[in-house]
Amino acid sequence: MTQLIQVVILGLLLGGVYALMASGLTLMFGVMRIVNLAHGVFIIAACYVAFYLFRGPGWDPFVSLAVSMPLFFLIGVGVYSLLFPRIEGSPRFTEMTVLLTFAVALIAEGLLAYFFTGTVRSTDPAYKTDAIRIADFFIPTAQSLASITSLVLLIALWAFLYFTRTGYAVRATMQNRTAAQIVGVNVRRVSTISFGIGMALAGASGSLISFLFPFFPARHWQWIAILLALIVLGGLGSLKGAVVGALLLAVMAGIVSHFFGSTWSPMTFFGALFLILLIRPQGLFGHQARVG
Amino acid sequence: MTQVEKKDSADTPVSPALHEPAPKRYRYLVVGLVTLLLAFLPLARPLIGQPFNYVMQMGIVVLMWIAMSSSWNLIGGFTGYISLGHNVFFGIGGYAAGLFLLYYGWSPFLTAPLAGLIAVAFGFMFGLITLRTRGPSFIISTIALLLMTGLIFDNWDLVGGSNGLSLPLPPFPIEVLKIPFYYAMLVTSIGSVYLGYRVAHSKFGLALRAIAQDETKAEVAGIDTRRMKIAAFSISAFFVGAAGAIWGYSLSYLRPTVFFIIGVAAQMVLMVIIGGRGTVAGPTVGAILLVALNEVSVSQFGSSELNIVITGVILLVVLLFFPSGVVGTLRDRSRLPAFLDWD
Amino acid sequence: MALLQLQDVNSGYGYGPDILNGVSLDVEAGKSYCIIGPNGAGKSTLLKTVAGLLKPRRGQVLLDGAAIGGRRPDLILAAGVCYVPQDRSLFPEMSVRENLVMGAFLETDKEVVKERMDRVFEMFPVLEDRLNQRAGTMSGGEQQMLALGRALMIEPRLLMIDEPSLGLAPQIAEQIFEIIRRLADLDITLLLVEQNVLRGLDCTDWAFLLDLGELRIEAPSDQILDDPRIRELYLGRQRETTWQPRAGGGVS
Repeated sequence: MTQLIQVVILGLLLGGVYALMASGLTLMFGVMRIVNLAHGVFIIAACYVAFYLFRGPGWDPFVSLAVSMPLFFLIGVGVYSLLFPRIEGSPRFTEMTVLLTFAVALIAEGLLAYFFTGTVRSTDPAYKTDAIRIADFFIPTAQSLASITSLVLLIALWAFLYFTRTGYAVRATMQNRTAAQIVGVNVRRVSTISFGIGMALAGASGSLISFLFPFFPARHWQWIAILLALIVLGGLGSLKGAVVGALLLAVMAGIVSHFFGSTWSPMTFFGALFLILLIRPQGLFGHQARVG
Repeated sequence: MTQVEKKDSADTPVSPALHEPAPKRYRYLVVGLVTLLLAFLPLARPLIGQPFNYVMQMGIVVLMWIAMSSSWNLIGGFTGYISLGHNVFFGIGGYAAGLFLLYYGWSPFLTAPLAGLIAVAFGFMFGLITLRTRGPSFIISTIALLLMTGLIFDNWDLVGGSNGLSLPLPPFPIEVLKIPFYYAMLVTSIGSVYLGYRVAHSKFGLALRAIAQDETKAEVAGIDTRRMKIAAFSISAFFVGAAGAIWGYSLSYLRPTVFFIIGVAAQMVLMVIIGGRGTVAGPTVGAILLVALNEVSVSQFGSSELNIVITGVILLVVLLFFPSGVVGTLRDRSRLPAFLDWD
Repeated sequence: MALLQLQDVNSGYGYGPDILNGVSLDVEAGKSYCIIGPNGAGKSTLLKTVAGLLKPRRGQVLLDGAAIGGRRPDLILAAGVCYVPQDRSLFPEMSVRENLVMGAFLETDKEVVKERMDRVFEMFPVLEDRLNQRAGTMSGGEQQMLALGRALMIEPRLLMIDEPSLGLAPQIAEQIFEIIRRLADLDITLLLVEQNVLRGLDCTDWAFLLDLGELRIEAPSDQILDDPRIRELYLGRQRETTWQPRAGGGVS
């Protein structure tokens, strides 16, 4: 029983980080109907940023996070402006975004592999193997710090969305794009900013992941598959769903991992995906018949 | 600023009646001629001499991709449902035929159709679950399927896990070893392209195009979209599975990394998009172009990382500037040569 | 100079055919107009084109003489053109209050926003009652009032309303028409699209009849129904007929 609770605790901690990763992805869909297949590869890219900042100047990943976030925000703004306005009026927009971001993912993966090779990496800050002991349970320091950071960032995102003017505009655009336009929201600007924010979240996630999971360029496919499954479960475009889904699945994956070995933990996400498609295709918090 | 009206055949597949088709006899003649040439190619072995095996291998590879991309076109092109994990069927077919060979001694040349049918069965079951929703959920589920299947095969003892299985060589003398594979792929590719042709010219194909253009309107018009989509998806698995069976045999080994990596899916998608989504000739053109390009770039750059970058860049450029692909763009500008006009 | 001018405008959706075919009309400041016409005539398309949700494929749309055709919808709103769509287009997860605040998105002075909201409550007291209710859970009539209230938060110079009575029970629709008539009496220039021809004409000064994307008839609201061409357009060519208009005119 203790073991089980231990697994659940670990799952919840990881879930926080998954939630951070998935939130950027679901935000992009909610605001702009973009399915960003390149989200995973940018997370990995951020891992490399954290890695080289750690190896070189010796910066702790939590510090490089402060660098990654603005950096990836700008990259996001750049990528968005370059690619998406072109296809804006397209009748099969979401499909096009899948293909476009697929291409971007391929390019980014190739570049990462070319410059950094396929060697498996991870950052090794001192706290990586530490743990706090509370009663019978071990609370790993690294995961806790990562989880707290994720929580802080998610709260910041929430505050942005609910207490700033731009945040209101983002939420409005998510709920009804046409309505947002006719009340004076510059949806182009909102979309660009949202994409940037999504990328910034990916950048932050990368720093955190760098010491939690070993990474190499091709790893992003597994991440993006898991994250996509996660946001479908939560409901495409729903931030609440992303958080709930992340916590739920992380705990379940932890349990699966405990009983069947860690190789099978990704299966939890895929199994959950197919299950939700069978029972409630719009996801836990999604709306009916979301036409892409 | 006035709105530019661009007929974009990636988004609005044009039905055959809307443009002047080339006289049918001429098209059949050219296609028939090319097919005959391909069929007799191996007989020219003495003429070709030393590079014969290379030529054969090239032929096998090109024909295989033609078969697979033409099949992908059925769901990704005609119906407009992007399957990013289609090589799942490639692997299922490959492993099925390999297992039949190992356990029953059946030659994959004979079991390839069976492997194709097994792939169809999987496609059907998968389609039942995932084709209830539209758009992004389906695409995401195909990625999940691919990774999931790869994971299973990587850890399943029956299929040798990540080490895979070794297959016996076919009972032919080594100099002519590639020839039967060549013919097998030739038959498979002809079958796949012909299937695409028949679907394109059928009521079924028309229904699929309607779904691609506007699924809501198609439903309102009385089309059972779910049934059509599942049918298209299932059928599109057949030749991919058959190709997998032959390919696995030609390699003499089966490994998850051969079949279940996203790169294979990427190639299928890329070939169809470059060639022209939703056209009959597009996938063939795309396959030939891409295999040629790969050959050139591998000989120039060798390393595989830059290949991925190049693949991605080409896909990006085509998507942004030539979304109709080679065949589609040529047709839009009325410059499509008759022998490529198979719609 | 007219407040709004359309000059030979063509417009349509996506890659589809032209819905508007060379429409030219003038809208004078301070007056109220009703656009009537059969389904598919292009009435909504016209409003959307002016609002910036569609780009004109040909011709010009001028506001105070300046071209606004094809500009971003939020910029057109900033110029004072407010559009209330057919489906009301509210923010379903936001409360009534938030919807109204969003209506004044471009207004940064909080005092002004509060003032306007008070005025909206005056006109639509039910909105104040439901201040914190989520817009998606309100009834059709309440949503329409919220949509109109939201439009008024911006103090538009030109207010365009697309089929306000659509899907509403007759009594509720009556209330809406009352409100629209009050709006028409204010200084706002009103451009109304209405299927309920009688009531639409009742609230407005002038009428446009659109059919198959073309402007067919332009006349004062109280006279347009007497135009013999109306019968032809709505009922087809008539030979001798025993059909008698009901008291008050209009189409049955």
